[in-house]
Amino acid sequence: MALLEIDKLSAFYGKAQALHEVSLSVGAGSIIAVVGANGAGKSTLLDSIMGLTKTTGAVRFDGAEITGCKTKEIVSRGIGYGPERFNLFPFMTVRDNLLVGAYTARDDIGKNLAAIHKLFPRLAERETQETSTQSGGERQMVSLGRALMSSPRLLLVDEPTIGLAPKVCLEIADVLRRLRDEFSLTVVITEQNANFALSLAERVHVLETGRLVAEGRPEDLANDERLAAAYFGH
Amino acid sequence: MLQVLIQGLLLSGLYALIAVGFTLIFSIGRVLNLAYGAYLLIGGYAYFYFTQAIGLPKFAAVLLAAVIGCALGILKFLLIVRPLRGNHVAIEISTLILAVVLQSAVVLAFGDSSKILLPIIPGVERVAGAAVPYSNLFAAVMSWVILIALWIFIRSTHTGRAMQAVSMDAKGAAISGIDADRVNMITWAISGTLGAVAGVFFASYTQLYPGMWVAPLIIAVAVVIVGGIGSIIGTLIVAHIIGFMEVLVSTYLAPELRGIFTMVLIIAILVLRPRGLFGREEL
Repeated sequence: MALLEIDKLSAFYGKAQALHEVSLSVGAGSIIAVVGANGAGKSTLLDSIMGLTKTTGAVRFDGAEITGCKTKEIVSRGIGYGPERFNLFPFMTVRDNLLVGAYTARDDIGKNLAAIHKLFPRLAERETQETSTQSGGERQMVSLGRALMSSPRLLLVDEPTIGLAPKVCLEIADVLRRLRDEFSLTVVITEQNANFALSLAERVHVLETGRLVAEGRPEDLANDERLAAAYFGH
Repeated sequence: MLQVLIQGLLLSGLYALIAVGFTLIFSIGRVLNLAYGAYLLIGGYAYFYFTQAIGLPKFAAVLLAAVIGCALGILKFLLIVRPLRGNHVAIEISTLILAVVLQSAVVLAFGDSSKILLPIIPGVERVAGAAVPYSNLFAAVMSWVILIALWIFIRSTHTGRAMQAVSMDAKGAAISGIDADRVNMITWAISGTLGAVAGVFFASYTQLYPGMWVAPLIIAVAVVIVGGIGSIIGTLIVAHIIGFMEVLVSTYLAPELRGIFTMVLIIAILVLRPRGLFGREEL
């Protein structure tokens, strides 16, 4: 059954249209990826699911319409978001960053913190460090951790590997798989790095200048010319 | 020497309390609330009215002044700041006009002449040749108690952390499920409450008069500019720099010059270190 359904979603920044009638659905317990070049609208898609942009069309989560809901409402219904630039709180400690993430899920703090420290032992070691002094990989961990603190069922991650060393990318991929397998989370990632997406996701959607142009299983899409065209032009 | 130290400490505690409500709004809402001094005006006059006109107990009068300040803060947010959201110049001009309007309202209700507040706690203690009124001691101690309570609130409650979060990264706060409007309203309420209470203490330090919103506003602006955006610790340190500077100047140079050095310091910092001494966008 589909946990997230997006139906003809268009997004606007002022008069500029950044998404054109995007429709896709995400089955519960899967990892899906949206790939595309820089500026294709990947971040806009995730921002729009979170209610951060002006949109038309419909977004349904777990059968209920969340279009037009406040971001706060969307978070408390169970969608967590790790944005591309992380948007961490730079002069707060790792621990306080995580605790802010628990704003809507205060009863689960102990349980969620323990799970996050198990997934990212480094965050337990660096609890009292300010995030402004951390490396990109550590910030990505704090960002994912903060999203997990809201006890989500669906996790959106914008470009999980951007700017990270290959070894850290593998760690992140491993964590996303564990979130699906051990925590039965559903995960949507966006990626510029198509190979990373193809190796991780069960379904891949190709976004090009705000429109979905192809979708399929990684093994079918790997040699699809539409994927290459989305990056290199026609 | 000891006299300067004691007076400096007392005055600085009060200045820190005056400045912190203004700093909160500046770091979270990113607007200069130029009507901030009006909280002190209203708080001082409310206290005067409840004690010396109606005859309520002093403690109840401070509480009522705080409640009025809180309500004023919330109303200001709902009626001016939220509708004008994003337009900082409009907010700043409206708040300045509001301060002038409130001043006129006070003149209408209480007259133009200045009033002396009866001391909150009567009596004077002589320490090393300096006369320390109990009222001033009480004001300084209460300022510290309030500041420490505020610091603990901001550091260790969900609402306090949400205030920090909104001040550091609005999008990060939103995707953590924080409603920035609500946090802003709470901040305006706290700021109004702090301002009104500071007004009671400030008026008992000096006297009550309709133009008394200007001096505290300048102190608050000075602390924000010199300290940098929104650090509570920075606010404390700078309040002490300014407080001690005023006491030193009025003791060793001339009392008339006390405010001048604060202004010169503002200009010097603006030119030499525009981000302030402790400038980072933190609570």
